[in-house]
Amino acid sequence: MSRPAILSVGAALVAFLLLWQAVVIVSGFPPFILPPPAAVLGRLATAWTAGTIQPHLLATLVEVALGFTVGAGLGLIAGYALARSALVERLVSPYLVAAQATPILAVAPLIALWFGPGLAGKVVICSLIVFFPVAVATMVGIRSVDAGLLELGRSLRATRRQILTTLEIPAALPSILGGMRVGVTLAVVGAIVGEWAGAERGLGVLINLARGSLFDIPLMFAALVTIALVGIVLYLAVVLVERRLVGAR
Amino acid sequence: MTRVGGAIRVDGVDLSFPVRGGGRLPVLDGMTLEIAGGGIVALIGPNGCGKSTLLRVIAGLLAPERGTVDLDTTPIVEPDPRIGLVFQEPRLLPWRSAADNITYPLELAGWPPARRSKRLTELVDLVSLDPGVTGNRPAELSGGTRQRVALARALALEPEVLLLDEPFSALDALSRERFDLELLRLWERAASTILLVTHSIAEAILVADRIVVMSPRPGRVIADIPVELTRPRSIDDLDAAVVSETAREVRRHLGEGEAAA
Repeated sequence: MSRPAILSVGAALVAFLLLWQAVVIVSGFPPFILPPPAAVLGRLATAWTAGTIQPHLLATLVEVALGFTVGAGLGLIAGYALARSALVERLVSPYLVAAQATPILAVAPLIALWFGPGLAGKVVICSLIVFFPVAVATMVGIRSVDAGLLELGRSLRATRRQILTTLEIPAALPSILGGMRVGVTLAVVGAIVGEWAGAERGLGVLINLARGSLFDIPLMFAALVTIALVGIVLYLAVVLVERRLVGAR
Repeated sequence: MTRVGGAIRVDGVDLSFPVRGGGRLPVLDGMTLEIAGGGIVALIGPNGCGKSTLLRVIAGLLAPERGTVDLDTTPIVEPDPRIGLVFQEPRLLPWRSAADNITYPLELAGWPPARRSKRLTELVDLVSLDPGVTGNRPAELSGGTRQRVALARALALEPEVLLLDEPFSALDALSRERFDLELLRLWERAASTILLVTHSIAEAILVADRIVVMSPRPGRVIADIPVELTRPRSIDDLDAAVVSETAREVRRHLGEGEAAA
């Protein structure tokens, strides 16, 4: 990242913190409703040094990683099948849309009931939420592969597999990675929702603990900041991959 | 370098395409054409007469409804490694460097990297590509360089037949003349049979041994005109009297074909 870009990001962060502080002052809310940024950052530092956040963060990261991998993997396969088979699209699309239209919050308790409070349920919820954007992006990407390139592949006697790996996937990559950008942030949402539906560890659990039995609102905010940071880091990771694979075209 | 193979025989090829709302649009009608191995034939005709379709049939990309295409004695029913195809637009893979685009057919054919690299050097020399740009992506190349890369890619597997579908049509007139001459030089070195689809009568005369004129759709051969120019050829040859005569004959057949349609 260039120096001006770093400066602008830093300036935006400072502006956000100042705005937050201004809202605290103007609203007059007590710290147990809206703590000032300094209190939250201080609580984040103490929670981090005390080792309060790490086990929850690790649990959430594992759920996100597995959920994203499974959801994105299935999304890629389904998206390709949807793009290349009219029959699959006719049969599967209505269910996909219905599944996407049903709020994950409403489905999460059911999944927790079926899969229990362990890792499997969170991974399923994450996968479900990641699946749709990746599947749709893959479908759109594969469908928009230049027919001329496919004809080129055929003229060079490329096998079905070679066409997939050397033409279709690279050509559809910008679209697929766009879907993954959305999917990776949704994976974090899925993990938190899954933890709320029943879990022993995770940043969602920490939020519930901070809000409930601990009544430690700055800790709750610290957990929220951590979740936001996880989302930003994962998003940036996908952007980096995208720049590396697609940027130079 | 003399090559014995690379003779093409198109015999009574019919082809039609389905149209929206039912029915079929005839594109080729009893198309018959013979090209001797190592020859250069230019295919000329009005827009939509089926020139590019014929090229795709010869390349094995389209199956005719009737008739046959043979390369030497082998029927062409699918893409064949002995046939190289250059499209009107370069069709380079934008995520690959020029070098990786050139060696793409070799990669598909399973050539090991060392052998690909050696062949790349030969091809870069063959098409007079600036070695300094082989690491560039297509977006960083000029239109002419991109078409040069496409040409090198088509020649990668040393095809006996090179099918060229208006490959220089997007270039300006001067570049086009230069590329036509380079094509001739390339032909002398690679000795492939060349079938060139073009809209330019001057280009056809400069490059080809014969000019085959096609009728408006459905395409069939309405004239097969020999070009009486000696080789090697140069741009100055276009000023020869025989060129005007040949051009006049090509125009006359094109005009008759359109009038009949």
